[in-house]
Amino acid sequence: MTTRNTFAQGMTLTWRSLVPLRNQPGELIQLLLQPIFMIVIFVVVFGAMSGDQAGAVQHLLPGVLTQVALTQTITTGLRLAEDIGNGVFDRFRSMPIARSAPLMGRILADTATMTLTVAVALLVGAVVGFRIRTSPLEALGGVALLLVFTLALGWVSAWLGLRAKSAASMQGMATAVLLPLTFGSTALIPAANLPSVLQWWAALNPVSHLADSLRALFTGGPAGAHIWITLGWAAAIAAAFVPLAVRAYSRRIR
Amino acid sequence: MTNTIEAEGLVKRYGDKMALDGVDLEARAGSVLGVLGPNGAGKTTAVRILATLVVPDGGSARVGGHDVRKEPAKVRELIGLTGQYASVDEKLTGRQNLVMIGRLLGMNRSAARARAAGLIDRFGLRDAADRAAGTYSGGMRRRLDLAVSLVGEPSIIFMDEPTTGLDPQVRAELWAVVREQIARGATVLLTTQYLEEADQLADEIVLIDQGKVSARGTPDQLKARAGDRRLEIRPEHDAEKAARILAEVTGLSPHHGENGLISVPVLDPTLPPAVFRRLDDAGIVLAEHALRRPTLDEAFLSLVSTPARPPAESPAETPGRSPAHDPADAPAGSAERPSA
Repeated sequence: MTTRNTFAQGMTLTWRSLVPLRNQPGELIQLLLQPIFMIVIFVVVFGAMSGDQAGAVQHLLPGVLTQVALTQTITTGLRLAEDIGNGVFDRFRSMPIARSAPLMGRILADTATMTLTVAVALLVGAVVGFRIRTSPLEALGGVALLLVFTLALGWVSAWLGLRAKSAASMQGMATAVLLPLTFGSTALIPAANLPSVLQWWAALNPVSHLADSLRALFTGGPAGAHIWITLGWAAAIAAAFVPLAVRAYSRRIR
Repeated sequence: MTNTIEAEGLVKRYGDKMALDGVDLEARAGSVLGVLGPNGAGKTTAVRILATLVVPDGGSARVGGHDVRKEPAKVRELIGLTGQYASVDEKLTGRQNLVMIGRLLGMNRSAARARAAGLIDRFGLRDAADRAAGTYSGGMRRRLDLAVSLVGEPSIIFMDEPTTGLDPQVRAELWAVVREQIARGATVLLTTQYLEEADQLADEIVLIDQGKVSARGTPDQLKARAGDRRLEIRPEHDAEKAARILAEVTGLSPHHGENGLISVPVLDPTLPPAVFRRLDDAGIVLAEHALRRPTLDEAFLSLVSTPARPPAESPAETPGRSPAHDPADAPAGSAERPSA
């Protein structure tokens, strides 16, 4: 199996994961509606409750963006579990293709849809009044940081999906992992407003640091150590879960 | 290149359950091997081992001359897999599924498209080709699944219950495809619960029951083994006297069936002519007479013990088993576990 073949097979399987978005308008709409709903609910409704709509939008959107992106990392494991459950995986396994191609295709496709989701969320944010106040370079840095972190989480998702008994149980487990990460953070609620038990966790939680990094990179203000802590977490998560996922994958695919 | 399938002493355990307990299989190049058995007999496990999806706990298998454990990549270059567990991507259209497989097998874009178009025509999927496979009916889905497994023109094809649950017309269409593949020179291993299907397609049949081979042979041999031929007559008159002659010639007491049908098992091929001579001498006219072999259905029933038995019980106590299958069962008891 040459590297070129492996790459070509990976690209074919990336295409295979993305083409349903073109085939079925429903799939694409579902993908796009999630950021729209989340932004409308959190930014507009909670913003209106706070009284200072404009200030709330500037503060909340990076947090909601984080939440939207994190929720979407479930897809990686969910689709892997589906492929295992309905026999598509076995079809690939019985073929003379690189063992790594199906996983590679999955990760590449999910990175592409994640980029699309982030772009749509920023666009919808602009519609409801979110303004990027930093240089394009800093803003792009924010997007890149978000993609790096979700890519790392994608490997946790892949690991769960490869070990799960079914797609439904994978979704349950992933939600159990994500809830404390997204809601036990300063992404939406300032640390001072959290119950004291949650404050120590929110200070540790990588999602808090990610959201605070995005705020700084999109709307200005000191990023401080948040970016480095976020990158550190991403590296740590990847270091732990890439090998775990690859091992679970090799067990499934041998 | 040889396109043979050979397996010796395959063993596979799932927890406490022995899915396969020492199964031997052999398919000559260019032949159809039918693996017949009830649900849960171990047919699918056998196919999954041969298709390199599952590693056996014991025994060995070579597909196209390559060991499935040591050279799975070589095996994968030769095989096509279709059936219950290898499936199509429901979110892709039929055409996209076929193109994807062609591209994965190294075809360029136009070659993969051309191959897909050819298979779509051959399998009568033209109208549905550009709809998501998830919207297909059961029969269309199986046809697509089979088409997908044939994209690379494999020389060895595994078909795991390809027609289970399909209506007779679609089944006949799929049978025609199997025959085409044979004509092309491919070797086919087909599992099925349908006796008729095995009878129609297979050169040799292996009957699997509870993880063991309970019989093997050509369809004719299996029918012969399942029971003796029976001579059936229906005399127009003098039924009593006819029955007496039957008993005298064969030395067995005849069975009186419905509508005046009298039958007796015959082992000696010279007996029926003798019976007819005696009846003719006695002036008895027969409305009907036949030397009937058991159907494959009867063979199947007499060779397979369907009700699950507790593992502690000795297989020898299982009723309804033909004693003729001893050679196949003999090595099964001593299934050794390899280092896991």
